[in-house]
Amino acid sequence: MSNKGYSLNEVLKARKAAGQDRQPQGDEVKLDDLSRVKVLSPGRQVFKRFIRNRLAVFGSVTLILMFLFSFVGPLFYPYGQKQIFYKYEPRNVDYGMVKENTAYSGFDVEGGATVERTVNNRMNSIIKNMLSAGVDVDYVQGDEKAYRIEKLADDVYLASAADMQEVCYYGSGEAEIGTYSMVGKKLDYVRDPVEGLEDAVRAAIASDAKGGTFELDGVKYTYTRGKAKSYAITASFDGVQYVDAPMDAGFEAALDAEIHLDGTGFAYNGEDFALAKDGGTWHAYRLVEPRQAKVYSRLTNSTYEAGAAVSPALNLNALLATATGGSFEADGQSWTLSKAEGGWLVRDAAGNEFMEMTPFSVRRYDGADTMEYGLKKALTEKAQEMAAADARTGTLTYALPMQTETGEYVVDEAGNVSTQETELTLNRSQTGEYVVNCQQIIYVINMFDAPSGEHILGTDGDGFDVFARIMYGGRVSLMVGFVVVFLETFLGVIMGGLSGYYGGWVDMLIMRLVDIFYCLPYMPIMIIIGALMDAMRMDTYIRLIVMMAALGIMGWASVARLVRGQILTLREQEFMVATEATGIRVKDRIFHHLVPNIMPQLIVQATMGMGSVILTESTLSFLGLGVKHPLATWGTIINSVSSASAMQHYAFIWIPVGLLICMTVIAFNFVGDGLRDAYDPKAKR
Amino acid sequence: MLKYTAKRLAYSVLILFFVMFIIYVLMYNMPSGFVETKARELASRPGATKSYAEWLADLNAQYGMDKGVVRGYLIWLGNAVRGNWGDSWVWNVPVTVEFHNTVWYSFALGLVAFILEILIAIPLGITAARKQYSFTDYFTTVVAMVCISMPTFFVATVLKYIFSVKLGWFDLSGMQGRNYMALSDFGKFLDVAKHFVLPLITLVIISIGGLMRYTRTNMLEVLSADYIRTARAKGVPERTVINRHAFRNTFIPLVTMLGGTLPGLFSGALITETLFSIRGIGFASYTSMTQADIPFIMFYLAFISILTLLGNLISDLLYAAADPRVRLS
Repeated sequence: MSNKGYSLNEVLKARKAAGQDRQPQGDEVKLDDLSRVKVLSPGRQVFKRFIRNRLAVFGSVTLILMFLFSFVGPLFYPYGQKQIFYKYEPRNVDYGMVKENTAYSGFDVEGGATVERTVNNRMNSIIKNMLSAGVDVDYVQGDEKAYRIEKLADDVYLASAADMQEVCYYGSGEAEIGTYSMVGKKLDYVRDPVEGLEDAVRAAIASDAKGGTFELDGVKYTYTRGKAKSYAITASFDGVQYVDAPMDAGFEAALDAEIHLDGTGFAYNGEDFALAKDGGTWHAYRLVEPRQAKVYSRLTNSTYEAGAAVSPALNLNALLATATGGSFEADGQSWTLSKAEGGWLVRDAAGNEFMEMTPFSVRRYDGADTMEYGLKKALTEKAQEMAAADARTGTLTYALPMQTETGEYVVDEAGNVSTQETELTLNRSQTGEYVVNCQQIIYVINMFDAPSGEHILGTDGDGFDVFARIMYGGRVSLMVGFVVVFLETFLGVIMGGLSGYYGGWVDMLIMRLVDIFYCLPYMPIMIIIGALMDAMRMDTYIRLIVMMAALGIMGWASVARLVRGQILTLREQEFMVATEATGIRVKDRIFHHLVPNIMPQLIVQATMGMGSVILTESTLSFLGLGVKHPLATWGTIINSVSSASAMQHYAFIWIPVGLLICMTVIAFNFVGDGLRDAYDPKAKR
Repeated sequence: MLKYTAKRLAYSVLILFFVMFIIYVLMYNMPSGFVETKARELASRPGATKSYAEWLADLNAQYGMDKGVVRGYLIWLGNAVRGNWGDSWVWNVPVTVEFHNTVWYSFALGLVAFILEILIAIPLGITAARKQYSFTDYFTTVVAMVCISMPTFFVATVLKYIFSVKLGWFDLSGMQGRNYMALSDFGKFLDVAKHFVLPLITLVIISIGGLMRYTRTNMLEVLSADYIRTARAKGVPERTVINRHAFRNTFIPLVTMLGGTLPGLFSGALITETLFSIRGIGFASYTSMTQADIPFIMFYLAFISILTLLGNLISDLLYAAADPRVRLS
């Protein structure tokens, strides 16, 4: 017999060991014989009552399965919660575009003059004006220099720069000379004084006091009467006024003709003259020794060999050669330029076609110039054809590089890329470009894939595997439940224990605190905290911790009230008097003698609490105020497909998750109910 | 009784004082610069009547943000007691106006749900208790448990999926149909009523389980009481035993509990209203909470706290009124 006390079970065990449990044959077993009595420990009694409750057993099994699913399942499932899945899919992509260049780009002539920035910026509109006016040569004045712009060929223009030298000015106009006052008999000049003018004015006024005109040294003057007996004197001029040496009559005729055309300049006698208009006066400038500065062109080079480099010198010399055609030198080689349909063709020294220069640019959208010449040519021709027919869409078929199902190019034994006839569609956009569309196999995120063998519940909008996310989500949800319930029970037991044991002002204080926490609106405060964490852009793991702490702090009051109520009744019982009499420490009295006695109620409360915490957490996450993407919880998974259209099409995502939440919470509630009945069979039923 | 009520009221006011203090501290600790951001946003909103500096000064002065927590709280409290709750930042009207605009929808929704809940849950609970361990009992228990365990958003989503998406009977959300303005007054009423159906079902489903279980448990307790056994022993017909002896005694905890939930009819259904976009006080406050509309949140939380305290008080008073054995002191 142990010294722990008398135990009927041990007595029976001892008897059995001694072989005394069997009654001799023939003897009747007495009704109160010890061998007929089977005594269960309190724990086993509870267990026996618990497993008799079918709902509770169902709940327990569900919970065990749920834990295995959430905590063990991911170990065997190949995918992670943040693993994004991709797939290869044939898609109609924007393959490239064809565009007729409208802008002219400038290329510096090697060792040539520079073009002022302001002029350079205006060059596109200058060239367009030349085009619309149908002129081949134009002149522009900059701040420092004058420029001669000359058309070399269609779409190619050469700008030369030269210093300006004013030759003459020309025109008819008026200039204010001054005011003649009758009082002072004096002429006040606003410009340089003119010799003899004062006398001439005086003579003119004497002949006609109202006003009029007179001439002096070939200049016509006008005087008009103003206020306070004074006359305003203006001079008129007309014709050519040379700044330096006068030019011959031919020059004046050319100048006259150009001014009549409202032109910008002209060439005379091998020299270029630019014109500038200032009010009613024209100024003619001589361009002193023009030097080539820049070539402007809207041609694009397409090499026959895809990706071959065109050096700047080759480009520039080819452009300069468009004026004459024929051969030219660049990079130490000789090239031949000839006119081709819609552009120019450049051949190398051996006579092989090297590149074509056309106003059409054809390029891939991905930036890499991987298009071969034939395709560029075909697309350009199609675009020209469409432009001529004013068609918005057009199609053509061309052999594009063949792709495997994984998007790679197929290469045959000889190392050549295999091709496949592909239909290309050209669409003219609002801006006049032709966008080329065709089917290509590309690598995309596998979004909203329907359930299949690879992904049991399909994938969600981020390409995550739904089944994996449900597993990991279960982890977070269950973990949140455990931590929060542990926290609130811990706080509740301490506060309730202190309150119930000490009574008096401690009790008073803690119970008022409990009242306050009871009154705090639970859900609004969680929503506010969630919005606050949103505003602070908190990391999702920190959010998780903050949320658990907040839920725990908000929930301790009910546990404290329960513990206090139990302790108040237990405190009066004999065993507590005994603990006091034997002088056990207060801490041990509370935590070793009182708390174990309220364990049953605590366990029931904790189990039920777990369900409600999971509900709260999933609601918050559903509203987007709890745990955030990319961390999975059951609430966030449903939230990701809660929009009207997603809800309709992706029911395979949210229905299983919703059912899982329900099952878990139901299981916790059933187990809690079962435990309560098992601990205290007399209580309710 | 009068003295008890007065004492409880005074005590409730004290609790309210501290509850609001905790909430105020939470609001006060919004990330730094939050009020500035809010002021800038309010000032740049189309139709804004005040400039940034004016808003900032206004907000700080109104909520005592520039002073300490305690002083700020007292300033807010002083304003609140005088009925000066300020202007809502989100709704651009005085808080009390927005409250008036929304609370009646919530009340209508809550009241109908409450009546339906009583009509369904109490008879079911009593039937389950009468036939304990029968199929009806198990069925009711399981249904009640399922209802308790379903998250509101899942119920709402399932209902929307079935009735709006699949059957197309109701709109997904909102409270007015597309041609609302063209309808007669009665037609408008019917239109709004139709939009309230799904939220109503949601509310009834999520709240019915608790009441059902409560009724059943209490009925079982009463049925196992000595006076029931005595009545049966005397040969009282079973109907009379249930309807008069048992139900009347079950009535006491029921009335107490239901009385306590009455003020809650005004508090609005935060989640349900939000999910169905019903312009009730719950939805309004949810919007305010996510956009940090401090005046409206403070008002709403004070309102809910008062309702909770009032519910507790009503519950206790009803307990004494319904059960002559209970004496209040």
